[in-house]
Amino acid sequence: MDPEAARTARESLDLAFHMSNILDTGLDRHTLSVLIALCDLGVNPEALAAVVKELRREKNSLSSSVPAAPSSLS
Amino acid sequence: MDDEEDHQKLPDLVKELILRLISQNNNNTIDSPNPNSSHFQSSLRYAHRILSSRLTPSVSPDAAAIADSVKRRLATQGRSSDALSFADLYTKFASKTGPGSVNNKWAVVYLLKIISEDRKNTKNLDTSVLLPNLGLSDAQLGKGSGSRVSRGVEKGWNNGILLVAKDSENRREIAFREFVNLVKEENEVSEEVLVRDVIYACQGVDGSYVKFENDNVGYVLSDFVKVPRATRTMVHKLCELGWLFKKVTGFISRSMDRFSAEDVGTVGQAFCSALQDELTEYYKLLAVLEAQSSNPIPLVSESASSGNYLSLRRLSVWLAEPMVKMRLMADLVEKCRVLRGGAMAGAIHLHAQHGDPLVHEFMRRLLQRVCSPLFEMVKRWVLEGELEDIFAEFFIVGQPVKVESLWREGYRLHDAMLPSFISPSLAQRILRTGKSINFLRVCCEDRGWSDAAAEIATDIGATARRGGFRYGETDTLESLVDEAAKRIDKHLLDVIYKRYKFKEHCLAIKRYLLLGQGDFVQYLMDIVGPELSEPANTISSFKLSGLLETAIRASNAQYDDHDILDRLRVKMMPHESGDRGWDVFSLEYDARVPLDTVFTESVMTRYLRIFNFLWKLRRVEHALIGAWKTMKPNCITSNSFTRLQHAVKMQLVSTLRRCQVLWVEINHFISNLQYYIMFEVLEVSWSNFLSEIDVAKDLDDLLAAHEKYLHSIVEKSLLGELSQSLYKSLLVIFDLILRFRSNADRLYEGIHELQTRISESSVSSRNQSKSRKQLVDKSVDQGSWIADGRKALTQRAGEFLRSMGQDLDAIAKEYSSLEEEFISQLPVQQHVDLKFLFFRLDFNEFYRRVSPN
Repeated sequence: MDPEAARTARESLDLAFHMSNILDTGLDRHTLSVLIALCDLGVNPEALAAVVKELRREKNSLSSSVPAAPSSLS
Repeated sequence: MDDEEDHQKLPDLVKELILRLISQNNNNTIDSPNPNSSHFQSSLRYAHRILSSRLTPSVSPDAAAIADSVKRRLATQGRSSDALSFADLYTKFASKTGPGSVNNKWAVVYLLKIISEDRKNTKNLDTSVLLPNLGLSDAQLGKGSGSRVSRGVEKGWNNGILLVAKDSENRREIAFREFVNLVKEENEVSEEVLVRDVIYACQGVDGSYVKFENDNVGYVLSDFVKVPRATRTMVHKLCELGWLFKKVTGFISRSMDRFSAEDVGTVGQAFCSALQDELTEYYKLLAVLEAQSSNPIPLVSESASSGNYLSLRRLSVWLAEPMVKMRLMADLVEKCRVLRGGAMAGAIHLHAQHGDPLVHEFMRRLLQRVCSPLFEMVKRWVLEGELEDIFAEFFIVGQPVKVESLWREGYRLHDAMLPSFISPSLAQRILRTGKSINFLRVCCEDRGWSDAAAEIATDIGATARRGGFRYGETDTLESLVDEAAKRIDKHLLDVIYKRYKFKEHCLAIKRYLLLGQGDFVQYLMDIVGPELSEPANTISSFKLSGLLETAIRASNAQYDDHDILDRLRVKMMPHESGDRGWDVFSLEYDARVPLDTVFTESVMTRYLRIFNFLWKLRRVEHALIGAWKTMKPNCITSNSFTRLQHAVKMQLVSTLRRCQVLWVEINHFISNLQYYIMFEVLEVSWSNFLSEIDVAKDLDDLLAAHEKYLHSIVEKSLLGELSQSLYKSLLVIFDLILRFRSNADRLYEGIHELQTRISESSVSSRNQSKSRKQLVDKSVDQGSWIADGRKALTQRAGEFLRSMGQDLDAIAKEYSSLEEEFISQLPVQQHVDLKFLFFRLDFNEFYRRVSPN
């Protein structure tokens, strides 16, 4: 990969990350880069979004169950 | 990149993604993701399932559009600076091309958008989900502790004051949910469907729930549909519009069908077209409403699910104005169903008197259209005299008549078709103007009026362009009519005066029919007198015509215009057996077109009556003058009677005297009557007539003036209805006078003969000896007078004089009683002028003294 292309890629990622921040998606840079790569492979963005959403929900249910435990204890 | 490579890369990337996401979950253990953990494995499976289930995106790959929608959303959320910076970033992002850049840009932006939305929703969900969770945990707690009563307090203790509110909101939410269920249960049909149905109904089309029912006569919501009463009422109210609409369109289509049958008329057609234009407006509104009905209400927050833009209530607001108009139209349609033409315009005009500016404006617009054919007709009529009215809608009706009655009967106003905004006097003027044009064209064969009409047209054209010649511009109409009337009437009078010499003909009639030309009348009387004494059936009118010609030649009348003299004719009235020529002879004046409009047959009949009366009067006067010729005192030399016996002489003188006295008395009466008729009646009426002709503005004025002239003559000459008895007694007096004349003639004939005999006898007595033989022969030849000798002569004379005296006495007696009767009737007459006649006849109150009652 020539340096020109690498620079373009990084700038693109930067811009996408900025947009992501403005839209308050909560994605970090690395995850975003993975998602972009997947998009470039032609994966349906709706499906990707669904995956992100589902996995986050799972995470939430996990995290909510964790603090719930001490409250029930008290 | 190869496909194979892709296929290999894809699972790796997915794994990486899941790792990242899961590792995010446990923030404290970022670096220890366990790819082999069951949790990771299940997540991976799940992700693969999701990814394989949705292979194609549901939106079109248009990056710019997606970015635009994101930007808009940010802006509506009030984050305009973010929106701007996002747009900025996006343009930069999109401009990155070439190797190393992102290929699938739209997918990236779309992905970001969805994730952001999801995240927000989950956040919202979080807050709403979290709280019930707490509640749930409260319930669990309550269950655990076994005391529900102290729950709120405990909560307050545990989680602060927020928890108290939680519960109440929960209840409110439950109530909301219950309400929504209730509404859903009640409304089998959603409001959108009802709105659609109502809009259909407003176009006269049955919807799926709202249908037209013939027995109910209107659109109703089907009874089987379960909706709240309020909705039902509102639908019903809105559907009135549909009913009205159906009525209006029904009228229009019915009228359209009849267009071919020529039953509707131009005004009706104009009305229909105006209604259709109004309906076009209405259709436009409905189209807009229909388009709106499927649009949701644009709200600030997108999350709040709004209903459709058009609710029934909004619809009722939108339709309020059309409803007023439609009601008005339906009303008009109802009123105008049987009306046509001017009557229809009038009926619509009655509705235009409305205080509401909306209605007023609407009606004005409608009326302008409706009345335009009428006004066009008025214009054609006033400017060209054309009655362009195939459907019989105009307020002027023409009927085929003979030329001479064209003015009086050819055209008339049709009151039923006269719209109320045209006043009767204006209508009268309109009628007269067009009539004048037609009169000029038909009767006078004059083309000059077209110049006048063209002048008016240009004059009015200017104002019409400014103000317009249509409904509401009654002033313009009036000025047009006035202008046209002024010029056309002036032209008409010019033609009648100058080309047809109206005044000259009037004067000729006065001279010849009303015996104004003295020498002519005198001469005519002289030459036709012997002829007229014959029985009526033996008189030839040709001979009389010849005599009339002679009379004209012999008198000053010969200098009159030939055209006028040609028109003077002898007319023999229908006669009965026993009528004398005097009774049937009359003169006639042939007025000819167009003056026969003035001198109609009935007018000529009245002239004839006047002529007959005047002719009789003249005859009597003539007879009196004739009597006077023989009665002149110097014709009878009293010295020839000296040889008569004294008694006979006295008798003779007294008879003569009686005769003279009677003649003087009669002459006084007749000459005063004659004077009265000639000067008080004819000349006065004539001069009034002349002054009225001068101020006459149109033919109607002229006709009225002439009518007045004739009427005053008839009334004052004792020919009117009121003075019939007076006229009769006058005729009796005339007869008596004629009898007097024949008596007087006989008397004087007798006296003359007597005189001759006396002188002859004196001569013969002187020559008695010489010519006895001759005398005897002569006496045998000459009759009885001389044969009886002198004594017999005296006796005969005495007898003759006595009988004549008796006759005279009788006549005098009859005459004085008749005159008394006549004079006593005069003061009770209504005419002031007849009183003058009375003063004249009874100037020294002689007759009043004779008959004191």
